Amino acid sequence: MEAAGISADAALKPRTSEVVAEFISRYGLIAILIAFPAYYGIQDLINDGNLNRIGNNLVDGLSNGAIWALVALGYTLVYGIIELINFAHGEIFMIGAFSAFALWEPLGITADTGTAALILGLLVTMVAAMLVSGSLNVMIERVGYRPLRGAPKLAPLITAVGFSFILQNVGILWLGASQRAVPDLIHSQRELFGFFGVSVSRGDVLAFVAMIPLVLLLTSFVGQSRLGKAMRATAQDPEAAKLMGINVDTTISLTFLLGGLLAGAAGLINTLYQTNVWFFQGFTAGLIAFTAAVMGGIGNLRGAVLGGLIIGCIQQISDNRIGNEWTPAVIFAYLVLIMTFRPQGLIGEETREAG
Amino acid sequence: MSTIQELRTKPWAAYLLPGVVIIAAALFPLFRPPLDGFMDDCILALAYVMMALGLNLVVGFAGLLDLGYVAFYALGAMAVGWWASDFFTGAGGEKGIHIGVTGFAKTLPGIHVNFLLLVVGAIIVCAVAGAIIGLPTLRLRGDYIAIVTLAFGEIIGRIFANGDEITFFGDYKLSNGRQSISPIDSIDVPALAPFDSALNLRPYYWTIFAMVLVVLFVNFRLRDSKLGRAWIALREDEVAAASMGVPLVKTKLLAYATGGAFGGISGAFLGAYFSSVNANQFQFGFSIFILAMVILGGLGSIWGVVLGAVALSFVNIRLIPDVLDQGFVGDALRDAGLKFSFTEISFGVFGFILVIMMVLRPEGLLPERRRKMELTEGIGETESVFEARV
Amino acid sequence: MSANGSILSTVSTTKVFGGLLAVSDVSIDVGPKSIVSIIGPNGAGKTTFFNMLTGLYRPTAGRILFDGQDVTGRRPDLITAAGVARTFQNIRLFSTMSALENVMVGAHTRMRAGLFGSILRTPSVRREEAAITENAHEMLDYVGLKRDLHEQTAANLSYGDQRRVEIARALASDPKLLLLDEPTAGMNPQESQALTQFMDQLRREKDLTILLIEHDMKVVMGVSEHIWVLDHGEKIAEGEPDEIRQNNRVIEAYLGKQES
Repeated sequence: MEAAGISADAALKPRTSEVVAEFISRYGLIAILIAFPAYYGIQDLINDGNLNRIGNNLVDGLSNGAIWALVALGYTLVYGIIELINFAHGEIFMIGAFSAFALWEPLGITADTGTAALILGLLVTMVAAMLVSGSLNVMIERVGYRPLRGAPKLAPLITAVGFSFILQNVGILWLGASQRAVPDLIHSQRELFGFFGVSVSRGDVLAFVAMIPLVLLLTSFVGQSRLGKAMRATAQDPEAAKLMGINVDTTISLTFLLGGLLAGAAGLINTLYQTNVWFFQGFTAGLIAFTAAVMGGIGNLRGAVLGGLIIGCIQQISDNRIGNEWTPAVIFAYLVLIMTFRPQGLIGEETREAG
Repeated sequence: MSTIQELRTKPWAAYLLPGVVIIAAALFPLFRPPLDGFMDDCILALAYVMMALGLNLVVGFAGLLDLGYVAFYALGAMAVGWWASDFFTGAGGEKGIHIGVTGFAKTLPGIHVNFLLLVVGAIIVCAVAGAIIGLPTLRLRGDYIAIVTLAFGEIIGRIFANGDEITFFGDYKLSNGRQSISPIDSIDVPALAPFDSALNLRPYYWTIFAMVLVVLFVNFRLRDSKLGRAWIALREDEVAAASMGVPLVKTKLLAYATGGAFGGISGAFLGAYFSSVNANQFQFGFSIFILAMVILGGLGSIWGVVLGAVALSFVNIRLIPDVLDQGFVGDALRDAGLKFSFTEISFGVFGFILVIMMVLRPEGLLPERRRKMELTEGIGETESVFEARV
Repeated sequence: MSANGSILSTVSTTKVFGGLLAVSDVSIDVGPKSIVSIIGPNGAGKTTFFNMLTGLYRPTAGRILFDGQDVTGRRPDLITAAGVARTFQNIRLFSTMSALENVMVGAHTRMRAGLFGSILRTPSVRREEAAITENAHEMLDYVGLKRDLHEQTAANLSYGDQRRVEIARALASDPKLLLLDEPTAGMNPQESQALTQFMDQLRREKDLTILLIEHDMKVVMGVSEHIWVLDHGEKIAEGEPDEIRQNNRVIEAYLGKQES
């Protein structure tokens, strides 16, 4: 019996309602993201007659965002490969910051150190911070997540939370429970240049200048190297990857290492930029960076960078306009909105499960 | 058969041990002075037991990882902060609004509602809040649920911590910000004089004890009911559960609402007991504290969770400051030149407990029969990425 | 019952995943109280089709009509409440619950107990709980699970017993239509034979319609009154067993698969 059928071509085209829903959720998200700076931009025009204030907000926001991008990449790499939110990642960032700072004195780096020596010294501390964070991340995976691979998702998530707390306490024991000012080695707030009434400080430039090569290195590694291909294969289909001879365990460890390296670098940059460290900075950073990763599209590297930059702007505008005691609530509100209405984020594709 | 074996076969044997414990716990205040440090600790422990039972319902029975349980504590506490104190001085003119209150509180300005009514109010507010918090999580996978609930916990905590900046109807602030709302009316049960925590702790003890008994009762009843089975089915295999007719949305929201309600009751009680409510307590760490109790005791195991809650409560109050810090361990560490106070690392200790339990004994101290199988033998998680690699 | 007398009708039902056309324009009509089968090589889209019938997937196009109602895209639990029950290809019991509890979950849609009723254990809730428990025991007896295994944890049961429990669980919702997804997978010929007889018994005694997905041709040919054949998501043939046996396209579809 032939009922009124539809041709295969017609069937393959996405239904109108699906297209509309996708459109609304994507542009809706973009709209509520843009609305925030736009609102204050308009206010500036009315009050000051220029866009300097919002411009400064955005510059600071992008530089903060560059740091968050590095941390967000760590989340997204790990989630992409084993679908686990590494809850302790924020603390990996914090430990990186602490490790970097801890080396300044022994290495003799102070605010008075000459430029060449300073750059060299900071590079050394950055590498050290990266190594500390990287190995810590690998160790956590080995000790806390790998043994739980047969267990329901709940188990490693709880372990992750546990590690997060342990590391926070390590922070407390290391440098105390209050925020700790650190020497302003690069004079981070000093203006480097200005344009159209907007001031760009040295810290701003540092954040960007440091982030770009790291991101490029990472993307080319993941995109081109053999290990990078192994990572992508494992992320897409772990069983197939195993069958093709990829050592899944090592690949996962490598992923954690990379995420940790980036977080460690971010830690150093953040310390130079903000000129302080605090055991609690990992918790806030972690949630901000995770929001960034989700906003961009979890599992997607470009998304993590994009999300980081956007979140940095939102954070900065909120700090400056609403008050920094409210910023976490603002960011979490965005997180809830994204998770509710567009969990795949701006760029995200559906990862493993279809339909 | 020996006497013990004979006893074991009797139908009421399963009730013997719990029954003895309950009776002992009920009578215990009579053997202590009215104002007693130990009783104070027990009251606090019981309040935590109630919260842990509530969280157990969400995480243990229904398998929804809620990392924002502090939100319910906050809502319950703020309920008494608003409506059993002089926080809203000015409401109802000079005289204030009084519902069901007697004695001294009746003369005070502000809104004063009887504690029992506030408990009912806290239940309703937290149940609704639970449903609202649960809504965004309905289509999300397990770890995303954790993040969203955490986010809500933080949002609510921050709103109250900064609530002194929010005003409505003119001068009324939403909360006192970082400062306490104090004093809170004492608990006023009809036919008895209002309690006074400066004079006699026993009534407070029996109040929280009675409330915990009710909550235990509710837990047992629900566990062995249609809803309880639906929760466990949902936890094990959502797809199969839906195919068997379990309505996922309604079942999940009921878990959040019921679990949250218990948190609210406990929050309200603690506010009244301490006679003070302070938004600084509404931190993520608190959610982890309660979660650690559930994990330690055994996810989904009612008696296990009670044990875990009592244990961690005393670790927090006693073991860390008294035994470890002041005791021989602390001395030994100081002798070795390590200068730190164990109190400073209490949260690290809880983190450690979480990790150790998950890696070594994920089913907890008093495991629920089913969970033990799930967690040790990897049964029940059909689409876990991890399992694919085993 | 639909206008044409079928208990289940699908009209041009189609499912597309991303760029993959999993089920394409499949229309079937199932007569009440019949035993019918859907067959086809692996990957033909049979389970996807089942999943649409039970509401796990929303059809990209087309309609599904059950018992006179349009259930296209309805939630799975509502479809179960309407009278459709199923078993799964790889058994999906609640492994840490006992066989009895599994079956009691199956009866979820037939129970009225609410939150407060359960807490208070009102007399009606108590009666209902007792009745459902008794009914669950009966279901398990009916499918042939020994009494002393009723309280056994599902994960500990033998494969054959687990299949039995799954069927009992499906029956507990008192369905009008029973969907069985490869019920004889992993069974030896005697067990398959026993299941075939059981299906016939079910249809007679429980007033059921049964729709099978099956690979075992003996079972299919032996028990089906009507067969639909899917290949690459399309319906390539339908008819009675004898017709299907001799249908060239069907033979090709199966043989073709074997050669490649």
